[in-house]
Amino acid sequence: MHERTRVFLGVDVGSISTKGVIINNENEVLSSDYIWTEGNPIEATKQLIRSLQSGLDDGVAVTAVGVTGSARKLVGAMLGAQVTKNEITAHAVGTLSRYPQARTILEIGGQDSKLILLDGGVVVDYAMNTLCAAGTGAFLSSQAKRLGVRVEDMGAIALTSQSPSKIAARCTVFAESDMIHKAQTGHKKEDLIAGLCHAVAANYLNNLAKGKRLREPVVFQGGVSKNAGVVRAFEEETGFEILVDPNSHLMGAVGAAILAKEAGEESEFDFHITDVFFSTVAHECEGCSNRCEVVSFLKDGEVMDLWGNRCPKGAAVRHAADCAQRER
Amino acid sequence: MIIGIPKGLLYYRYEALWRSFFHTLKIETLVSQNTDYGLMAEGIRNTADESCLPAKIYLGHVRSLAGKCDYILVPRFDGTGKNEKLCERFFGMYDTVKNTFPGVRLLDYNLSSKGLHSEARGFVEMGARLGKHPFVSLFAYNQAKKTQKEQQAAQVRRQKKRLAAEGAKILLVSQPYVIHDTQLGKPLLQILKDLNITPVFSDDCDAAECVKASRKISKQLYWSMNKESIGSIPLLQNQVDGVILLTAYPCGTDSLVNEMVMRKVRDIPVIQILLDEQQGEAGLQTRLESFADIIAKR
Amino acid sequence: MPQSVIFTFPRLGDYHIVIKSFLREIVPAAHVIVPPPVTQKTLDLGSRYSPDFICSPFKVTLGNYLEGLEQGANVLLQTGMGCRFGYYGEVQEQILRDLGYDFQFLCFSCGQARLDRVYAAMKRLNPSLNPAQFAHALLAGAKKIHMMDKFNRYMRENMAFEKAQGSFLRLQSNLYEALQKTNNISLLHQTSGAIFAAMNKIPLETPQRPLRVGVVGDLYTLMEPSSNFYLENELIKQGISVSRMMSVSFLFLRSNARSLRGAQGYLKYTVGANGVDSVCQCKRYAQMGFDGIVHMKSFGCTPEINATPALQRLSRDYKIPILHLSFDTQTSETGVQTRIEAFSDMLAMKRKAQAASAAPAFGKGERSVGNA
Repeated sequence: MHERTRVFLGVDVGSISTKGVIINNENEVLSSDYIWTEGNPIEATKQLIRSLQSGLDDGVAVTAVGVTGSARKLVGAMLGAQVTKNEITAHAVGTLSRYPQARTILEIGGQDSKLILLDGGVVVDYAMNTLCAAGTGAFLSSQAKRLGVRVEDMGAIALTSQSPSKIAARCTVFAESDMIHKAQTGHKKEDLIAGLCHAVAANYLNNLAKGKRLREPVVFQGGVSKNAGVVRAFEEETGFEILVDPNSHLMGAVGAAILAKEAGEESEFDFHITDVFFSTVAHECEGCSNRCEVVSFLKDGEVMDLWGNRCPKGAAVRHAADCAQRER
Repeated sequence: MIIGIPKGLLYYRYEALWRSFFHTLKIETLVSQNTDYGLMAEGIRNTADESCLPAKIYLGHVRSLAGKCDYILVPRFDGTGKNEKLCERFFGMYDTVKNTFPGVRLLDYNLSSKGLHSEARGFVEMGARLGKHPFVSLFAYNQAKKTQKEQQAAQVRRQKKRLAAEGAKILLVSQPYVIHDTQLGKPLLQILKDLNITPVFSDDCDAAECVKASRKISKQLYWSMNKESIGSIPLLQNQVDGVILLTAYPCGTDSLVNEMVMRKVRDIPVIQILLDEQQGEAGLQTRLESFADIIAKR
Repeated sequence: MPQSVIFTFPRLGDYHIVIKSFLREIVPAAHVIVPPPVTQKTLDLGSRYSPDFICSPFKVTLGNYLEGLEQGANVLLQTGMGCRFGYYGEVQEQILRDLGYDFQFLCFSCGQARLDRVYAAMKRLNPSLNPAQFAHALLAGAKKIHMMDKFNRYMRENMAFEKAQGSFLRLQSNLYEALQKTNNISLLHQTSGAIFAAMNKIPLETPQRPLRVGVVGDLYTLMEPSSNFYLENELIKQGISVSRMMSVSFLFLRSNARSLRGAQGYLKYTVGANGVDSVCQCKRYAQMGFDGIVHMKSFGCTPEINATPALQRLSRDYKIPILHLSFDTQTSETGVQTRIEAFSDMLAMKRKAQAASAAPAFGKGERSVGNA
């Protein structure tokens, strides 16, 4: 036990993909992976944990766990995490570990996007877009499919374009019809793809950066940062050099791991968690007229945690236990 | 000295008044260009997402005038009487522009139902800021009022001619800054023209008559410009074949007033067309063609 | 007059307590149906029959009426002023009539929002009502509102630091119970004394410099907690002292001229409804050295959109972070939750960094003052 090195697990459970890293005390990534969430964060996390475990050698022990992302509460309870943090803070912490001087973080993920402004290593402003899928990873994937190219190749193709098409991408529905129209009128494929990349960048800046002053250094991350076309579009739109880390898609998970490391409480993480049966039950509590919509989280049929309960009376808690009983 | 006049929002209501006032004072004016895609995009970049599209376009016009003139005319309006108010958008337009472009010099006057903020006083104060004697300004204002009346009379005459035209006629109930904008209303007018339909404009009616007639639809309505637009329906519904409620997303006053119109006006075909910055012309074409079919069948 | 009067009205925070006892005093024969707390069902009902892009308070209050009507209400009350709110009444009445409900709609909006109009309408429902009775009910109502607002304001500012969890909520429910029991003004004065003495005695563990956040925005979103997913409670849970000036008492006492003076340098004119208050309050919080501001509004609220550019400039000038939130019936609670958590993290981290560099080497804590 004494000889084993302490390492830290960070998990970022998004709506599209679930990412995980294991870092050492120096914040270096020892093992990492990402899995499609496919609407089932519990299963995706289990798969992720198995994969991360296989990438580790025996000389280490995971002593703290941090979870971030939209399903952080659920997965945090599942993993017994020391820290469950919102994505903004996690991304900022992760990025600062790589670029301590960073002033601006652009992040575009599968289904949402964020902008974080920093000053002296502290978050001073941020914006998030969760309402609309336009200009996110999911949007680019669906357009790639429509154009018959792999989403991974879009960036390289975009860079070959001489005159990017002008595409209105504020809304997926309109962007799609606009693109079909342009394709029919003879625009070249690389121009359309470059146009899409520009639209993503312009849409992002329009939605999130309005009224905010961006400063260098600017770091771009999230799945879409792998697309060189969008990187170039951002460079052209902002006039700044855009930094992209090789692990740019993992920054949320890295941040969660660092926060766990710094939380100050440690206990060894049990990888057998992947064999436990977890489930969630959603129900409307009928305890009073408040009708809280309660989600209870069950581990092998026992209520572990409860969300959405606004009731001081605790009626929902009893109700949840009853429901759990019935489930079994 | 040059006064810039943004070609948006209340320009379409006060154009004659403003131009004539400055003309009489021998001050040059510069009206911004027609709205085009680039100007609209510039406006969108500079305004809160939730603002209505005409307000975004207006900011684009202000932006396009910056650096080309000494002052930009951005008045502030809240209303002219107890039950005569304008949309809140106009209450805040001066301060919105001021805070968005702090470096730009603005010329403003306040038309308010509260306190002593009559139009004449506003113009005299504007004149004073430009170094004109109150009597001179007052004279210019009275001249301008005359010009404005003449223009309104001309509009009513134009309306009569349109109503006398052969063939199908559609009443366009809309804020003037929506229907007459080159980026918003013009594509729709072109489609109507191609369909051989004569457009009849709600803002070419006599405003006072409209206000009176609007009570047939709503008694508590207090937005003057909405009274003027919807009042045209009871006035003209026997002389036209259909009504289009044309609105730009997300118009605060229309959101309620058009609901009222759809519920109260029963004996003539009415559709609501919502314009937004994303709109493709194909969708508009389809909607107008099918509406034309409905009218033709009657 | 219908055979028996059954009132209902839209919900707004906890004010139904006062409205109910007021109505009971002036029309003793009437029943009062307090609409149930806003749930998804309320939103669904309201949205189904509302115009598409109307602001959300219209939809929610329409939902309140529908739920009240289902329970048998036959006299609906509405008020309204300022922005679109003033025109809600006529449209809501029309929508409900078109749905086939039979009811009397008493709308005291804009020019009708006058005590003599209220008196006349109530006199029709209760012919034996006299002015003295009416005045008494008003006074009792005003006293109650004042007590509620005073208590809740103190509670928001201090609840994060209560030593024993639940002390404030317990006292609040005592207060509400007492308010429901009596309309007797001298008794109310007694209660007031007892409750506020108890309030000031609640043991607190307030840190030397607590994190303080001011909340500004449109009146409905601020005062009806279901419309903002109980945002204030979330902030309090994060250990933050929450200040909000908006309340019914505030609305009665505010003046445009005063608020406009407070917003000097950022607004030349009022911008509709309470937009000017948002700017004025925000400036005050900034000058008082608050850590952050939450600006919330219902989606598309014109007066608050008018105020937004001024708030953004204030935020830059005073270096005070402002979280802008818009709510409609489609807003996702998770998204709001994430933003609030990130906001309080941000404030806490900023504080930590300030403490670490006790000497403000790079200009932290320094404030530039807005130019006129």
